Amino acid sequence: MAHKSITTGRESEMAKSSIQNNIRSLRFHNGEMTQQELADRVKVSRQTIVAIEKGNYSPSLELAFRLAHIFDTPLEEVFSYKPADDSG
Amino acid sequence: MTYQEKQNIVNIFTGVLVTLIYALLVYQRHQQGQFDLTEDFRTWGRVFLIYIGISIVVRIIIQIIFHIINAIATREEKIPVEDERDQLIKLKATRNSYYAFTSGFVVSVVGLAIGMPVHWIFIAFVAFGLIAEILDNGSQIYYYRKGI
Repeated sequence: MAHKSITTGRESEMAKSSIQNNIRSLRFHNGEMTQQELADRVKVSRQTIVAIEKGNYSPSLELAFRLAHIFDTPLEEVFSYKPADDSG
Repeated sequence: MTYQEKQNIVNIFTGVLVTLIYALLVYQRHQQGQFDLTEDFRTWGRVFLIYIGISIVVRIIIQIIFHIINAIATREEKIPVEDERDQLIKLKATRNSYYAFTSGFVVSVVGLAIGMPVHWIFIAFVAFGLIAEILDNGSQIYYYRKGI
């Protein structure tokens, strides 16, 4: 399962913490949903989905919940928080 | 390159082009003696008001041309929806441009305090206004590429 590291929106904490997501694999396991299809369903641009998957953008809580709702899975299955200190 | 990145590049070119051409025309008139920008502050007021008007009209025209050319080149007629990431990027870019313009204002006031002629404050406004705009659009390009 490919995990992508996502930095938080707060620049001051960028180096200290990270959020990981499984969106790419969840898309694959949901009928090989394309980024555009997912973007349309959560009402954002495809570029935003690309940025989230690449770890260049941390979505708002509302968008995170919408993504989890689309995949019909709990939020923690889509996103997970991993403090940088614990990453080894 | 995304629609937003291209749009920001167009905005930078438009801002630089309009400002430089207009500044050149005003400076030529000043040199020809049609008005004296070192003394006549009413003219500065008119120069700024005309600049704002011209700038708005030219930007609208160039945005329309850009959208047409982009639609032909990419075959995508729809302008991408502005979502939360776009709004956050714009917000951060606006903050950066605000810092640049505020710095320009401080530099202008310091210039006055140390004895620079009054008309320099107007020139500083134009210069830092342009820098602020470049920083605004440049920041957006940076955030779109590097992430926020």
